[in-house]
Amino acid sequence: MPRPAPKTITFTIDGREVSAPENAMLVDAAKYGDVEIPVFCYEPKLGNPVGACRMCLVEIEGIPKLQTGCSTAVKDGMVVHTQTERVRVAQQAVVEFLLVNHPLDCPVCDKGGECPLQDISFGWGGGTSRFIEPKRHFVKPLALSELIAIDRERCILCYRCVRFSQEISEDNQLVLVERGAHSYVATFDGHPYDAPFTGNIIELCPVGALTSRAYRFRARPWDIEDAGSVCTLCPSQCNVTLTVRDERVMRVLARENDEVDDGWLCDRGRFAYPALGGVAASVPKLAGAPPAASAENGAGRVTEPMIRDGGQLRAVGWERAIGEAVAGLRRAGERVGAIAGGQATNEEGLLLARLVREGAGSPHVDSRTAGTLALELHRALNDPRLQAKVSDLEFAHAVLVLDGDPIRDAPILDLRLRKGVRRRKMKLVGATREELLRGPRELARRLAAEGPEIVVLWAERLTAGGDGAAAAAALVELADALSLAEVDGAGLLEMPAHSNGRGLREAGVLPNAGPGLSETGEGDGRDAAGIAEGLVSGELTALYLLRSDPLAEGGERELWEPALERAATVIAHATHLSDGVREHADVVFPAETYAEKEGTVTHPDGRLQRLRPAVSHAGSTRAEWSVIAQLAAGLGVDLEVLSGAMASAQLFESVPFYAGLTLEEIGGKGVRWQEREAADAYPAREQLV
Amino acid sequence: MTEKLLFADIDEPGLDTREVYERRGGYESLRRALSMTPEDVLAQLEGSSLRGRGGAGFQMGKKVSFLPKGSMEKYLVCNADESEPGTFKDRELMQKNPHMLIEGIVIASYAAGAQRSFIYVRGEYSLQADKLEAALAEAREAGYIGDQILGSEHSLSLVLHRGAGAYICGEETALLDSLEGKRGNPRLKPPFPANQGLYQGPTLINNVETLSTVPSIIRLGGAEYAKLGTESSTGTKLVSVSGHVQRPGNYEVVLGTSSREIIYGLAGGPPEGREVKCWFPGGSSSPVLTAEHLDVSYDFESMAKAGSMLGSGAIIVVDDSTPILDVALKVAKFYQHESCGKCTPCREGTNWTVKMLQRIELGEATPMDLEIMASVQEHIIGNCLCVLGDAMAMPIGSIIAHFKDELEAHMDSARLNGGGSLVGA
Amino acid sequence: MSVSSSGWDRPVDLEKSAAEIPDPASVEVPEELRTEIEAYMGRYPDSRSATLPALEAAQRRYGWCSPEAIEQVACVMRVTPASLESVATFYDMLETAPVGRHAVYVCTNISCSLLGADLVYAAACEAAAAEPQEFNVRAFECLGACDIAPMASVDGVYVGPLSVDDVPRMLDDARTGRTVLPDKQLAPRLVADPEANSHEFPAHPPQEPSAR
Repeated sequence: MPRPAPKTITFTIDGREVSAPENAMLVDAAKYGDVEIPVFCYEPKLGNPVGACRMCLVEIEGIPKLQTGCSTAVKDGMVVHTQTERVRVAQQAVVEFLLVNHPLDCPVCDKGGECPLQDISFGWGGGTSRFIEPKRHFVKPLALSELIAIDRERCILCYRCVRFSQEISEDNQLVLVERGAHSYVATFDGHPYDAPFTGNIIELCPVGALTSRAYRFRARPWDIEDAGSVCTLCPSQCNVTLTVRDERVMRVLARENDEVDDGWLCDRGRFAYPALGGVAASVPKLAGAPPAASAENGAGRVTEPMIRDGGQLRAVGWERAIGEAVAGLRRAGERVGAIAGGQATNEEGLLLARLVREGAGSPHVDSRTAGTLALELHRALNDPRLQAKVSDLEFAHAVLVLDGDPIRDAPILDLRLRKGVRRRKMKLVGATREELLRGPRELARRLAAEGPEIVVLWAERLTAGGDGAAAAAALVELADALSLAEVDGAGLLEMPAHSNGRGLREAGVLPNAGPGLSETGEGDGRDAAGIAEGLVSGELTALYLLRSDPLAEGGERELWEPALERAATVIAHATHLSDGVREHADVVFPAETYAEKEGTVTHPDGRLQRLRPAVSHAGSTRAEWSVIAQLAAGLGVDLEVLSGAMASAQLFESVPFYAGLTLEEIGGKGVRWQEREAADAYPAREQLV
Repeated sequence: MTEKLLFADIDEPGLDTREVYERRGGYESLRRALSMTPEDVLAQLEGSSLRGRGGAGFQMGKKVSFLPKGSMEKYLVCNADESEPGTFKDRELMQKNPHMLIEGIVIASYAAGAQRSFIYVRGEYSLQADKLEAALAEAREAGYIGDQILGSEHSLSLVLHRGAGAYICGEETALLDSLEGKRGNPRLKPPFPANQGLYQGPTLINNVETLSTVPSIIRLGGAEYAKLGTESSTGTKLVSVSGHVQRPGNYEVVLGTSSREIIYGLAGGPPEGREVKCWFPGGSSSPVLTAEHLDVSYDFESMAKAGSMLGSGAIIVVDDSTPILDVALKVAKFYQHESCGKCTPCREGTNWTVKMLQRIELGEATPMDLEIMASVQEHIIGNCLCVLGDAMAMPIGSIIAHFKDELEAHMDSARLNGGGSLVGA
Repeated sequence: MSVSSSGWDRPVDLEKSAAEIPDPASVEVPEELRTEIEAYMGRYPDSRSATLPALEAAQRRYGWCSPEAIEQVACVMRVTPASLESVATFYDMLETAPVGRHAVYVCTNISCSLLGADLVYAAACEAAAAEPQEFNVRAFECLGACDIAPMASVDGVYVGPLSVDDVPRMLDDARTGRTVLPDKQLAPRLVADPEANSHEFPAHPPQEPSAR
């Protein structure tokens, strides 16, 4: 579908000529001239402007009435004034009206210091109020859900939260009820606001009306620092800003990156931060509500190396733990299998594969739980010409969701699909693996009827199990039939089973591929299931788990219980003692959370994104890359990494189509490798099938 | 004798039935219109210079011409949400001559190229809605509504939709949201309904009286119709007169009649011994005029020149027995109650104004409050999403301007007579 | 719309689950109501336009838009109950709290109040106070019948001009299902314009209590 490619026009604002994209709303166009027009209700992420708050009134020559800058599209030659007496009076009036019922107790408001109403009152208000009547008073704060508190006195009825519920997440649970000055935000009949993306309304709220129950009054804006990173709890890899106070993550906020997440977060990504390392926070009791489940921050976190001693794990020093692990690996020799979990970075994956292949001389390394897929199929499915971007989901004529459910597999994409359907009439189609296997060409014909720009959003589980390879081949056939490689805006987009599934594959954490999906040369190793079988049969004796626990991740218990039981040595990097680790690991290294980690991950659409440490390591945790390098050294191999940056550099050298990348180039917004010249180094096949 | 186009024999028994309506020449205009091209019908409407009777006074023909040409689905919506205080003219038309409205809708839809139409009638008007419902059934049966009307290429569906009690739904975009099953919040304009209205399609919205006038325009011809009234306010207009008059009710007058003739001549003026203190010429949202303005001609231009507006054509007369503060409070409370709450100045401004007026009533105000109140009205006017805020601010502003002395005197006496006081409270 | 501020003070009940679009298997909707709502849904290009008629139908059946009534409508219309609640609370004629059987709307807007409507309203409130199940007396904004000011709408039938003395009979007529104040009804009245009618026409028949 055509994407807006606005031409640039020139208009005059406050006496200066400014160039801006044609039809940008004035509040946005003004920014090109460094002019700020204040807004409350305007938020382009929420769709069309509503013009409700009236804060952005400006004067436009030739139009008698003041106009709302949020809803007036800029045209060539337009002459706009934001500093005239008329505008000043009108903006002051709106601030005065908003403050009629808004409490002026900013010092004790959780939003104080990061509050748009406070800032705009300061910048555009009159500084005094002529309203001497008593303000309204209500019970506050009240629970809106387990996660969110509502303070209705502070609400300025800007409509942002209800628009989110109705037009973005489309859960339609949060609405305005009653009318006029009596209106308020509510759910139906006292039901909690419970949906996958509710936390976004906290960030949308321009006042202190909606607050996070876990965060409210835990920090003041001047106590905290912001740290940009990437959430690696699922393959969506949403961009986040971590609010840090005293080396603790106190809050997770969205960090705008339209090409990844459109500025939204799911509730899991937003509220799971206690596990990232933060203060022990008990959520306070609110009026009329039982206390929310206490979120023990950092509870159960592994912070020191441990070894199994007399059947129990016990904390030891690093030297001892490394020594035990090296000894275990030596004993196993080539009989080692290793599995990297989805939260591992590209660098960790690369180094792990080297440790296993070069250090132990074993080919048995995997990051997939979906079984072996022929290298040729991996290459076909990852072909750069075939890859769709996240934003393609929005503009496509149709999107086929194949054997997956975005809300489960990559939640934030659910919002993108809704946006496409809602705003651009994108056609959303679902199909199962069986339908694909039955006839990819038939499926292609159905889709082609919608238009040329088709995106196939497929879940990695499609390629799992007995006919997984057949399904992968059928997917390639479908892509060919739709000529996805030739059409701009069309393509495949995978929802991997694990957060960094794509990056780990590209780093060579596959039994049948080295870095850059290269041939392994010396024969293929066992995949994850094969490793388990090898452990059971005794052909393998040691298991190395990098942020992975086959028992916790829904692996087949019947297969893995005996495998872990039989393994002579199990070495695990873990943040928490999940079942498999607690019961079976012989050496446990404390692992970093993503908030502590540096390195890169690769988004399912090929965007390399950079993790930056926001807080120091908990306890004596060390970076995974350094631990792996130490183990390799113990096995007589020098991995040549002395810093995280060196690990990244090694990754960029090792994966041919990452060649020349730097952490600076990746920066805060990431880089899609398919859009760089080095993409030519991709091991393309002659023909897709 | 004034020409009666809308009220001619309005009380004839059975006029609400097709039989009597047809006997009186009903639906002849429709036949004539369908024998013309839509462009010609539009030309007649434009030639009549008929101005919308709902309140805004925009030329109807022009409004029709704003609809895009082409085969897309277009809608016609009849605004029968008559709610402006003092206005009850559409009620009389719908109750007594529903077929005239239906005929007008079908003709207008032909000119506009609309194939779906709706009448949005306020929920309180159940008798009128029932009468319309019955007339619709008759009209459908007779083929005046439906597919290929009277053998022409024109098809039209017409659905009666009952509101549920919200003044704001008389605002055309709020009406559309309400008709779509939402809260009746006004929409941001542009886009205007002519381009993106009901279900995002091009939509023509007209008032009951406006559409009921259409058959007469076709019958007389636009040019002939335009000879009635003044140059810029053509035709006849229904005027609802209420308040302190001896013969309240609806009158059909030619635009340009003197206001005194309507208030005194037709409605009998205030009761014996009373004088006109002030009057709203166009519903409670029009700025008040005083006895000085009684000789102003009752038409769109003259009312605007006098500092008010013709609005919905509803004259509310207040005599000298009534404290002006009571009037101001009633007006302000009404708009406070009816504000949808979407935009800030209206929601907070109506609310604040009521509180200030209540303080005056209780003797808790000082003359400075009048200044603040006047300034609040100025801050509302022109700054809102729709005209509801202005609809309070204009009359309240005019009351403060015309009756400052009385309001100040009221403050003094209320304070002295033991109304609450801020200091003592 | 009930203008009470109690909703402001209401927290959610965390024991409840989210109010999503009701599961047809768990919400029982009387067949008549379902059929009526579905007919409304079919009248419009977009079924959501049926919201007001559907809520009115539920209110006719249950006396008010109770949470259960709203859930039933939501179930038939396949929308969330919150979206209906949002609409129901916006409109004055939809009741979101239990009310008396007979709707007595006394107009207290400007034209009526100039002629004594506030006294009529006070009298009606007083007379109905003992029978809250019977009467829902409300001060209403302009009902569009200022020609019979002060006036009231009794179960949809317009009557006026009213005096305080008319109030007991008005309530009694409503309670017993008789034609309300036949001599005071709007329906039979001829237009005020003396030149409108070319002959003298008889008064129209009074409005009978409506089934609606």
